[in-house]
Amino acid sequence: MAHIHLPDGSFTLFWALVWWICALALIGVALVWARRRRSGTREITVAAFVTAASFAVFQVEIPLFGGVHLNLTPLIGILAGPVLGSLIVFIVNILSAATGHGGWGLIGANVLVNSSEVMTAWLLFRALGRVTPGLFTRAGIATFGGLFSGNIAMVAIILVSGIQGVTQSSVQILAGLSLLVAVNMGVAVVEAFVTGFIVEYIGKVKPDLLEGGRP
Amino acid sequence: MTALDRRRGLILFGLIVVAVVIISFVAYRMTGPMGIEERYSQAVGLPSPGEESGSGWFGFSLEGNPLLYGVILVVLGGICVIAYIRWRREELR
Repeated sequence: MAHIHLPDGSFTLFWALVWWICALALIGVALVWARRRRSGTREITVAAFVTAASFAVFQVEIPLFGGVHLNLTPLIGILAGPVLGSLIVFIVNILSAATGHGGWGLIGANVLVNSSEVMTAWLLFRALGRVTPGLFTRAGIATFGGLFSGNIAMVAIILVSGIQGVTQSSVQILAGLSLLVAVNMGVAVVEAFVTGFIVEYIGKVKPDLLEGGRP
Repeated sequence: MTALDRRRGLILFGLIVVAVVIISFVAYRMTGPMGIEERYSQAVGLPSPGEESGSGWFGFSLEGNPLLYGVILVVLGGICVIAYIRWRREELR
């Protein structure tokens, strides 16, 4: 949801490379971690399903607030965990760019944005287990938290990188992006309900899947 | 965990929903209706990319190439089936 929807060339080559290197470092750490703890076939299967679901939903523009799309990144975090989740968002971003949705130069930045959503949602979902037992509310609040952190990461990346060919100051860009974040969070309501219902359903029919999201 | 804990969670979730909906609606009224790419471009001061045709079903439309979308989705579906069969086999063993 906090996917940076700017065309290739919006960031300078230097910053596009910086975010790509940061994302590859993150993916490298996730790969080493995943290899060390040896993911089972159940985790791999869940990862495959959430990858397919996320990719499928990611490309569909829904007629809300002029046209937005869901990511399901908080659901990825809750079901697959932060390690496999980071790998999943990398794959989804690559596949999306392959279909023409999102620029190749922005994949690094978008992987970082989406990974922050995955990690925050995973962390909140687990932490909220001590506060409330309801799976729907835990997943819903974790979704809000995850997507908000993604929006913050998105704003930070754009402000740090700057945009090529614009005359606006950082303060003006921050003001514009703040309104964008506010509208984006409206979509988080839809995503919170979708994630909440899915997690509650999984909790009823196959609760052991919710334990799969380990670090 | 008691029913009170469950209710506390629901109340917190409800409050977040109400607050977010109000803030989003105000922001949406301030910026006006526009597509997501246009919204991003306007936010950072880039020229508007221009809206794509409003094709789709009931306002829902696909971003990117629909053929590639279908092909990738079929491949991902195949991977899911293979992974699921392997998992079930392992569970039955």
